[in-house]
Amino acid sequence: MKNPKPPELARHRRERLWMMLQLLPVFSVLTILFGGALVLAVLQSLGFAPWFGVNTFPDFSYFGALWGSYSFWQSLALTLYYALMATFISLVMGVLLALAMVRMFPGKSLYKYLYKLPLMIPYTVGIALAVIMLGNGGMLSRLAAFAGLISDPSEFPQILKTHYGWGIIAVYVWKQAPFVTLTIYAVLLGVGRETEEAATILGASRWQTFFQVTLPQILPGIVSSTLIIFAFNIGAFEAPFILGGGYPDTLPVVAWRYFNDADYTLQLQGMATVVSIALIASGILFTYLALYRRYERRIGRN
Amino acid sequence: MKKLFIGLSLSVSLVAGGAMAEDPEATAFRDGFIAGNVDWQAVQERAKKEGTVNLYYWGGSDPINIWMDRTVAPALAEEGVTLNPVRITGTKDAVDLVLAEMAAGKGPGEGSVDAIWLNGENFATLKRQNALFGAFAPKLPNSKFIEWNAEDPRSQMNLRDFGVETGGAEVPWSGEQYVCAVNTDRVAAADVPHTFAELKAYLDKTPGKFTYVKPPHYIGNTFVQATIYAHNPDGTGASAFQESIDVIGAEELARLITPGLEYLKALEPGLLDANGGSPRYPEDPSALDGMFLNGEVDFNCKFGMFAVATGLAQGTYPEAAEQFVFPEGNMIKNKNYLAIPANAPNPAAALIMTNYMSSVESQTSKLQGTGMPPGIDPWKLSEAEAASLAAASPGLVGLTQADLDANAAPDTNATLVDVIEATWLEYIERDSTDPIDVIVKRAVENLSK
Amino acid sequence: MRRRKATSALNTRLSPFQKIYLLLFAGFILGPFIPLIIQSFAFRWAWPDLLPSTWWLEQREKSMLPLAWDYVLSPYSRMLEATINTVFIGLVVTVICLAICLPAARVLARENFRGKPAFEFFLSMPLIVPEAAIGIALLMIFIRLGLAGSYIGIIIAHLIPTIPYMIRMLTAVYQGLGRDFEEQAMILGANRWQVLRLVTLPMLIPGVVAGALFTFLVSTNIFLLTFFLGQGKIITLPTLLFSKIAGGTLDASAAGITLLVTVPGIILLLVTERFIKEEAFGKGFGN
Repeated sequence: MKNPKPPELARHRRERLWMMLQLLPVFSVLTILFGGALVLAVLQSLGFAPWFGVNTFPDFSYFGALWGSYSFWQSLALTLYYALMATFISLVMGVLLALAMVRMFPGKSLYKYLYKLPLMIPYTVGIALAVIMLGNGGMLSRLAAFAGLISDPSEFPQILKTHYGWGIIAVYVWKQAPFVTLTIYAVLLGVGRETEEAATILGASRWQTFFQVTLPQILPGIVSSTLIIFAFNIGAFEAPFILGGGYPDTLPVVAWRYFNDADYTLQLQGMATVVSIALIASGILFTYLALYRRYERRIGRN
Repeated sequence: MKKLFIGLSLSVSLVAGGAMAEDPEATAFRDGFIAGNVDWQAVQERAKKEGTVNLYYWGGSDPINIWMDRTVAPALAEEGVTLNPVRITGTKDAVDLVLAEMAAGKGPGEGSVDAIWLNGENFATLKRQNALFGAFAPKLPNSKFIEWNAEDPRSQMNLRDFGVETGGAEVPWSGEQYVCAVNTDRVAAADVPHTFAELKAYLDKTPGKFTYVKPPHYIGNTFVQATIYAHNPDGTGASAFQESIDVIGAEELARLITPGLEYLKALEPGLLDANGGSPRYPEDPSALDGMFLNGEVDFNCKFGMFAVATGLAQGTYPEAAEQFVFPEGNMIKNKNYLAIPANAPNPAAALIMTNYMSSVESQTSKLQGTGMPPGIDPWKLSEAEAASLAAASPGLVGLTQADLDANAAPDTNATLVDVIEATWLEYIERDSTDPIDVIVKRAVENLSK
Repeated sequence: MRRRKATSALNTRLSPFQKIYLLLFAGFILGPFIPLIIQSFAFRWAWPDLLPSTWWLEQREKSMLPLAWDYVLSPYSRMLEATINTVFIGLVVTVICLAICLPAARVLARENFRGKPAFEFFLSMPLIVPEAAIGIALLMIFIRLGLAGSYIGIIIAHLIPTIPYMIRMLTAVYQGLGRDFEEQAMILGANRWQVLRLVTLPMLIPGVVAGALFTFLVSTNIFLLTFFLGQGKIITLPTLLFSKIAGGTLDASAAGITLLVTVPGIILLLVTERFIKEEAFGKGFGN
């Protein structure tokens, strides 16, 4: 851009200004709300809360106390375990379903409605379904009794309210496997099946075709959908709150408990927890994205 | 960058700072009413102008929700006041809201909560933070149905709430007692425990068939308190727990509660699902109701003199449920109240509402519709009124009023409740290996910070 | 059609495993609704009964209080209020979100400028930072500003998680649209408004509808932000249901409420399936 003539420059300026103006609303809304909330959370976690009469900024003792406690790391491990497990199972189930969905079968148009139902309804519905199905007094336990396998509710394996978290994971998977399917199915429809066909003609086995042809094609969909659901799972509150095994709780529930404690100074501890969740979540997701980008560059895709 | 930061913190402190705003007229009304200079007619007129009353209450019970909408709302409408019943999941939410608003500078007349259904720690918190409207209760016309005479020992439940003097800043709404129910289909009458030792023996024989609501839920706290009373090393039961923590001191409290907590620790292996590791404590009474109905547990303990009768009418209790005396001599009895926060936006409407709630008519329909025992005192009523109140009772199942009275015990001082709760969480739930006196000392220090 | 014929070398039919898998998956998604429906008509339904021992209709006359569906459909359950709130908040959020995202998406799809990748990343940040963090932090500010427990506060908060989705879907729409049509119209003498009104908008409509529906969907499903910031004063379908099941048990009225909470989702499903092709959904999440 070497020395444009004045009218051109003015036009260019105007264009730029117009462009900025169009970006401004969404930028300012997110900066003020989201950025403001984050900054305030960080400030509070560092001891800035004059409204409780606390102002020891900058004070790292809240993080120190949090990270120094064994239970924080237990909670973190649990949070990551539920999130990873659910993401992985959703991914496998979702991809399998998407691969089946691209084929022809009777009732496919109905099935396309059906599998999307969980996407449309709140997590709380999924939790209610888990309660009625998976509890020790729930439907599966009753069926087991009907089949003569157990004679008392306590003999049914405990699924809800344990630290294995199968109830929580079931709810996440119920909601999120369809989400993965939706994304992958869309990608599959987009790329068509010509390459798969070519591979088959060239004599590739079914596994070879999947891992060497289909998988690279759907990888962007896999990355973006797992990114979103993993991020959600780390920050989810209602399922671990209702279906969790009690102490140690997942980090969002811990933060909520701090926040609700009668001792108001613990709210700062809660803020430190919240900021820790955000740090850890973004750390993991950044790494994930960076790895994926590197892989893309390596295979020459951009 | 630094500049940006300074600007940011400045704007934040601008948001944060600022003096307490208040509506001077609301302050004048409050001072006048509490001094007795405002007659009831003036209150009624002001209430009509205010128009609405925001009542915050635990909304987890269908019958109470129905009663509020079906009975209270129309009755208040006759006084020109619209009831706005705000259903909350925990009473503490409303207390938090009041305190947060006060911290944000919203003084008298400027808040958003007009009245809260509460007792115990929640009242004590509001009192400690100076967040209460003042001594309104004895000034209500219907307070004549409540025993205020301190010389009558029966007045204690109206004057002290978990050992904290009410000072008239809350009006009794309901009087409850901690009662357990048993599923008689599953437990033979001879096996029903009446003491803690018998409960332990029952669970040694039939492990997993009992659990209690987890502290910090007040129903769980109450079970822990009853255990501690029964295991008081001096044998003085509840009476040792009526003073505040400042009077008793951490060391003495630790000595008093150690046997009770050790019993609870020893009980753990026999509790629900304990064979799979740690036992399962339900988070709230409705979860325990579900376990009781499904036969996961054989007993169900909670505040609920008429819980079996209402549970049967709602289908939430097994058909063979009956109440029984447990633990002998330590069935904790207390009242719950309606309080008005200092910054209530509609104080006159709140007075009208609390006065209506103290009427014989409303107490009778509440008892009938929700199974909540009356908060007013029967001996202050006329014979006919007392009879109509008694007739509204859903009834006790399996025991008598005399049984309840003979085994009643008072609740624990609110300042001790916090410490005992923290100690339970540390010692029982988190399996801390520290000795109890160390845990208690730490809890006391944390709470007095 | 052409493609289907061309794939003759590939198996276009389901393998036996896939048939079973499709059935199992459908059972996993829909199966739990069967006991839920039964529970909503039950009065007393204890373990190990496979059907209630007493049905609601048997007790209906005897009970002084409305039970099960009588309660759910009565004003006492607050279902109507929660539904209206949910729909109202969702609509307003969608409109605002659309208004602020449309211009930005157009720029993002077509222009290149310094810091664009960073800007795009910033816009998707709300997807990565947990809602619990945002909710708790916002609560402090909102209480001070008097926005806690108000519609305005909740609507503002709902913008945070909806903006990233809306931006992504609309950017994809603009990218697919291309610039040629607008430029041709300009060359033919149309002014900016005419281009917008007569060319761009009609071509945008399907994508915008998709984005709007999706934003509405996200907003109606938000629990945490509404729960924290509504302070019990503003109830929506997710928060109402949460307070019913927070204890971890499900009685008849809770089951009925759960069923009703799924109804808007079913309606939305029927609508989206009609207006949006699968591809449109997929594109919205692509990187």
